[in-house]
Amino acid sequence: MSPSQKKRFAIVGLIIAGVGAATFLAIMSMQSSFEYFKTPTQIETEGFDSKQTYKLAGIVRKGTVRRLDDGITQRFDITDCENDVTVQYTGILPDLFREGQAIVTIGKFVDQPMLIASQVLAKHDENYVPNEAADAIMLQQANKCDDTDGPIKY
Amino acid sequence: MQESLERDLIDTVNPITASWNFLSDTYHRLGSPREFYTISRYTTPIFGILFLTLSLIGTYFGLFVAPADYQQGDSFRILFVHVPVAWMSMFIYIVMATAGAIGLIWRIKMAFVVTICSAPIGAAFTALALLTGSIWGKPIWGTYWVWDARLTSELILLFLYFGIMAVYYAFEERKVAEKATALLSVVGVVIIPIIHYSVEWWSSLHQGATVFAEGGPKMPAEMLLPLAFMAVGFMFFYGYALFLSMQNRVLENEHKSRWVREMVIRQGKNNELVRFFLHGRLRLRGLDLLGFNIIGASRICDFS
Repeated sequence: MSPSQKKRFAIVGLIIAGVGAATFLAIMSMQSSFEYFKTPTQIETEGFDSKQTYKLAGIVRKGTVRRLDDGITQRFDITDCENDVTVQYTGILPDLFREGQAIVTIGKFVDQPMLIASQVLAKHDENYVPNEAADAIMLQQANKCDDTDGPIKY
Repeated sequence: MQESLERDLIDTVNPITASWNFLSDTYHRLGSPREFYTISRYTTPIFGILFLTLSLIGTYFGLFVAPADYQQGDSFRILFVHVPVAWMSMFIYIVMATAGAIGLIWRIKMAFVVTICSAPIGAAFTALALLTGSIWGKPIWGTYWVWDARLTSELILLFLYFGIMAVYYAFEERKVAEKATALLSVVGVVIIPIIHYSVEWWSSLHQGATVFAEGGPKMPAEMLLPLAFMAVGFMFFYGYALFLSMQNRVLENEHKSRWVREMVIRQGKNNELVRFFLHGRLRLRGLDLLGFNIIGASRICDFS
């Protein structure tokens, strides 16, 4: 490389390093606002503000899904295997909704530790499995919390 | 004479040296617009054929051979388009930014052409990734769009591609425009690791990596194989579209040079290329802005 090429190489390197460092600092200072959802354990430790809208994610706790008398309102617990939050939702649940499925619920705590959800989304995980193995996998997912008690990732 | 003969002799003996010399020679030849034009006229159709073959095989295996997913059923099959297209949206950016850096440092004309011609193709891939993801999101997640880190950073990538295209056309002077475009594409490269790690660094609705996950792909081989065919196929599509687009731009950039003029004269007056030079330049530039330069280029390619 000629001297002028070396100089330009250094300049381009410095630009990339500078922009990278600036972006890194900006991201670090806004870390929490990039999070899409909170977990039941975070709600447990941080508490909740009844005026704020929360996005709360967890897996549907086995044996907690029940339908209220009006026929379209459902109540269920979502959990990270350490803490649980009860969610109430009126409307049609996504197709993937079932025990052991990770879901994101969006709504408010109205002065009680129960989330009144306005939206329920299914959080698909990174696993792709052929149809034949469906039952075994689903059973395993529903019983996920039986073997672990720490907060799980989803 | 004696020396070159000796070198040839060594080349035939050592295949690694020989192939390195070939690659290095090709790279340097591609740096000249005229050489690029000659070489690409042969390679472009090969890329097109490889794209068609691989993506047709991938489509067949993806739609008819791969088993349905245990919980998504057949709607999972959109990943055979969504995943390669999303990979390409980032891969093209990396190629574009690398070419931009090479152009800025070594002042290679053709490197700028790679940067400028990659932008509309990359934008198209990014838009497709967002669109196919959205179509998949409705039945699986229950929503077309959320503002999580992965989706938002991919949307920023689309705007970045638009910005890079806009910067090029904002300058009258071509050399200034080329440098500004290359600089913006180099600066914007920080978005790539952010997109890639967005699902690891932060909680998101979008799932984590399946194929390049820790401990191997979390997907059976029957699903992985068509995905690989589609991914390599789309790579060749990028090569195909890029070379067509670059041929077009090389002719436009070099229209005053002797080799282009001589080629035009050889073609005769009724040729597509001649009409392009006599009447069509402004019109084609207008089309170019919309990312439609592939259409223009394929028409010029008809002359022999």
